[in-house]
Amino acid sequence: MAGTLLDIAMMHSDGLIARAREGNSVAQNKIIQLWYKRIYNFSYKFFFDHDLAMEVTQRTFISMHKNFQQLQDVGRFKSWLYTIAVNYCREELRKKRKDRLSPLSELTTGTEESHGWEKSERREENPEHQMQQAELSDLLQQCLLELSPEQREVVIMKEYEGLKFREIAEALNVSENTVKSRMYYGLNGLKKIFDKRNITKENIGYEI
Amino acid sequence: MKYKPTESDLISYLYGELSQSEMEKVEKYLLENPDAKNAFMKQADVRKILQEVEEKEVIAPPILLERNSQVVFWKTTSFKTVLSIAASFMLLVVFARLMDLRILSSGNELRIGFGDNQTESVLVSPVTKTEVQQLIDASLVKNNGQLTSQWSNDRDALNKSIQSNLDQNSKKIDGLILNTSTASQTEIQKFVSGMQDQNLKLMKDYLQLSAEDQKSYIETLLVDFSKYLQEQRNQDLMYLQTRLNSIENNTDLFKQETEQILSSIITNVSSSERVN
Repeated sequence: MAGTLLDIAMMHSDGLIARAREGNSVAQNKIIQLWYKRIYNFSYKFFFDHDLAMEVTQRTFISMHKNFQQLQDVGRFKSWLYTIAVNYCREELRKKRKDRLSPLSELTTGTEESHGWEKSERREENPEHQMQQAELSDLLQQCLLELSPEQREVVIMKEYEGLKFREIAEALNVSENTVKSRMYYGLNGLKKIFDKRNITKENIGYEI
Repeated sequence: MKYKPTESDLISYLYGELSQSEMEKVEKYLLENPDAKNAFMKQADVRKILQEVEEKEVIAPPILLERNSQVVFWKTTSFKTVLSIAASFMLLVVFARLMDLRILSSGNELRIGFGDNQTESVLVSPVTKTEVQQLIDASLVKNNGQLTSQWSNDRDALNKSIQSNLDQNSKKIDGLILNTSTASQTEIQKFVSGMQDQNLKLMKDYLQLSAEDQKSYIETLLVDFSKYLQEQRNQDLMYLQTRLNSIENNTDLFKQETEQILSSIITNVSSSERVN
């Protein structure tokens, strides 16, 4: 997580967050610049959809701006921000499900062929020859979509956003053990999904 | 009792969020249980595969956070204006109270004052028109007297001031003139002596120059005159020479004519004698 200057800035932004909480619009702007990519990537992995990710990201930061004074502890900013993002993700997910009640509502059933993933199913037959790095990335994100939203948000927060289990628990307002349990079963579920799609560490390494 | 880690312990171990002692316990357990280790390794593999997901690059839009549009009631301009007016009024009331301001209105009369009402004492002896006139006249006379005395005082003071100023100025001017005259006498003397010296030198130069010129001129004149005389004498001599030659020629001519005449006479005479 602490690979880039942006990450370092994010880890040492307590003063900035404090100023932003006091209503300093410049500080709030800087926080948006710092965290925009993270929230976008979280949302993008959650939906695998750019437009929805942008929607959630923008709404997250608008909400952050409006409710900054409600942030009790500056140290909990990260989990607080992800709480907002997760809430909007869940909201958008509900809308999405409502919009796709008819045939498309069967998307999340694991055993049936999905309308949106037909291309991926074809790829799955022979991934060694078709996957480029970007496609592999897309394929893996499609695998993530097959997880339940609860497991998915935990896996993304832990694996890609680098939150600690405690922070995830705070963000989701559940116990730490629940988070770990979701993570445990989420990884096992992903293992099964990868096996089904013939995605293994070896053939990915070979392709790369 | 044999230690068996829970799912939470295993997942914490996978992400390195266990304490050192717990980590050692889990490690030991995994070494002793190949099945559990196998399951654990599968999860680790899933993690490695998940790392292949690329991060999406996105640029945060230039967000200009608008000012808080929900202006609190007590921060509105109108409220502030009303509040300031009320505060001013309150201040006036407090000052009036502190200074014991009294405002009385009765009939056509409005009284504003401080302290107790003293209207009774004022209204005890109403004055008549003539008395008022007398008071005004007296006041005018007094004023006039004061003004006159003040004017005379002022005039005297002004006169004194002018006189003193004039004296001072005249003294200054006299001093200045004296200085100027003394200065001018010495300067004039210097100037005249300078002029005289200059004129004398000029005259000397002129006379010297003039004498030299006259001398050279007279010399030139004498030379020219001598040349002229010489020339004149030569011309006269030439003229005399010419005249003498002319006379000589005339004489010769006359002599020849005479000779001819004589010869003709002689001839005539000889011929007549022959005839005869």
